[in-house]
Amino acid sequence: MHNNMSHFSLKSLFGAVFLFFAFSFGLKAQDGAKIFKQNCAVCHSLTDQKLTGPGLAGVAGRVPKPVDEWLTAWIKNNNKVIASGDAYAKSLVAANGGVDAMSEFEFLSDADLKALIEYVKAPPAPKADVAKAPVAGDVVEEEKGGIDPLYLLLGAIVILAIVLGALRSVRHSLQNSYNRKEGKEESEELTFGQEVKQWIGGHRRLVGVFVILITFGGMKSCWDACYDLGVYYDWETQKGYLPEQPIKFSHKLHAGDNEIACQYCHNSVEKSRHAGIPTVNVCMNCHKGIQTGPQYGEKEIAKIYAASGFDPKTGNYTNPQNPIKWIKVHTLPDHVYFNHSQHVVVGKQECASCHGDVKKMTTVEQKTPLTMKWCIECHRKTEVAMEGNPYYDRLHKALKEKYKGQYDVKFTVDKIGGLECAKCHY
Amino acid sequence: MNLSYKNLKLVACGTFAVMLVAGFTSCGKKDANSPGFEFMPDMYRSPSVEYYGTHVINGDTLNNAMLPVAGTIARGFMPYVYPNTVDGYEQAGLYLKNPIVYSEAVEKEGEVIYGKFCVHCHGATGAGDGKVGAKLPGPPPAYNGPLKNLPEGKIFHSITYGKNSMGSHASQLTQEERWKLVYYVQKLQGPKTVATDSTKTAAPADSTKH
Repeated sequence: MHNNMSHFSLKSLFGAVFLFFAFSFGLKAQDGAKIFKQNCAVCHSLTDQKLTGPGLAGVAGRVPKPVDEWLTAWIKNNNKVIASGDAYAKSLVAANGGVDAMSEFEFLSDADLKALIEYVKAPPAPKADVAKAPVAGDVVEEEKGGIDPLYLLLGAIVILAIVLGALRSVRHSLQNSYNRKEGKEESEELTFGQEVKQWIGGHRRLVGVFVILITFGGMKSCWDACYDLGVYYDWETQKGYLPEQPIKFSHKLHAGDNEIACQYCHNSVEKSRHAGIPTVNVCMNCHKGIQTGPQYGEKEIAKIYAASGFDPKTGNYTNPQNPIKWIKVHTLPDHVYFNHSQHVVVGKQECASCHGDVKKMTTVEQKTPLTMKWCIECHRKTEVAMEGNPYYDRLHKALKEKYKGQYDVKFTVDKIGGLECAKCHY
Repeated sequence: MNLSYKNLKLVACGTFAVMLVAGFTSCGKKDANSPGFEFMPDMYRSPSVEYYGTHVINGDTLNNAMLPVAGTIARGFMPYVYPNTVDGYEQAGLYLKNPIVYSEAVEKEGEVIYGKFCVHCHGATGAGDGKVGAKLPGPPPAYNGPLKNLPEGKIFHSITYGKNSMGSHASQLTQEERWKLVYYVQKLQGPKTVATDSTKTAAPADSTKH
């Protein structure tokens, strides 16, 4: 009983406070902002910036009077205003390329509209800190200046050779002055080559051992190098090809943090042999609206606009178009046939099983060797996903019959011809 | 040429030098921008015309990632007849109906497509609370809110051409996939509060046939 009472009084207290604010000032402005964000911000900005619709800065000064009534009618049902022959409405349609695509907002109440119009007439000052974001990104971009260690080594060798030469002549003149003192003949200066020959003559065995060691060492490294020929992947360090791309596109940001599915951009992966590079219109599906990135600000996104010919000021595709020249990371030679749809749809493989955890990569790196050995190893151990996979229904039945008791009904890819030469080479 | 001792010595030295160079290339994998040493590079960088490349053919520089010639129609493809105008949108809302027969399996397929192509903006429940949607100037409207009574034709039309902030998804989804998706979006809309224009089944105006 006591509980109920306190509950009731609390409720009424809240109600009173709510009403007080609703009828004074607080809620109204907030409401307007909320309504604007939910219904209008998709197409209109509060500045001069044109998105899908025109920017709303100074809108109260532009529209016919009485301003509030005109705006109310326009927002509720702009088509009616146009149909009524309103001159300003017609000029608006003409200014937007003869297309009037604004939605109708009949569901907004009069109070909502009032709050909204108040908000649009006097919006809060835009935050200035947005423009500063790129500065931090630029620092990251600076590359460490450094000299190739090979050049350092060569420089050291040259310096040592000079020092050696100088020391040799010092030693020779010292020897000569000693000889003079002892009354011996002055010795002729030997060339470096002659001296080395003399030394080798005195240490034949040692030199022989060295020659053998270096020869076998060289052969071993040559043999190892053969394994790396044409493989964009280092087996020992597990580091792969990681080229810098024309746009600093981060898979970590897009697929990782924002959880965009791989197939959104690589949408041919389930339908075709190739996973495909997304066309620029796919980028623009989001970046028409998102014009500033968290790390590089507008700099990298501007490259998409340069490619698509999009003019962010007017929101139209009026500029010249240039293709983005992405650098291919995962390459198979021409004599290998690989089909993405076969592996992803029928084989039910995850993208990550060949491409690594791309969701954590800022720049894409080749994480697997993509050699024939690697393909075959995988085909030997991967079981075919036959259960509930209509593609294999008939085959599954036939194989069960054929290999009854032999294979324990475990069918890896090699058992259904996954090692046939002509599967990949034809 | 006689294979004299001197020649043999030269050959031995040459072989040794080659081996050393090969040895060095194996450890020269420092530069991440380099794909490494390519044995027979023409197997990797084929002289044949490949997709996504720029090629000079008979003096013309051709870009392979270009659009097909205007008016090209793929085999078996039926062009979408309603134009990308306000009229087209309204007409699609009135007359365009889902050609795929509804079943739960189809709706499930639509859900899978939704999870790949829509969820990051429109959110798991279609409330417009996806992670990418939050970064747009304004979040997409909720299916269960302002879009509750949107007819199927308008949903299809919007996926095909894009609407407001949303771009066209016609290049990513086939018409069949889009229709499957429509079923799932309708599920997220919930039951309609206003009867849609399904009663008006007059033939579409001739102006929309392109």
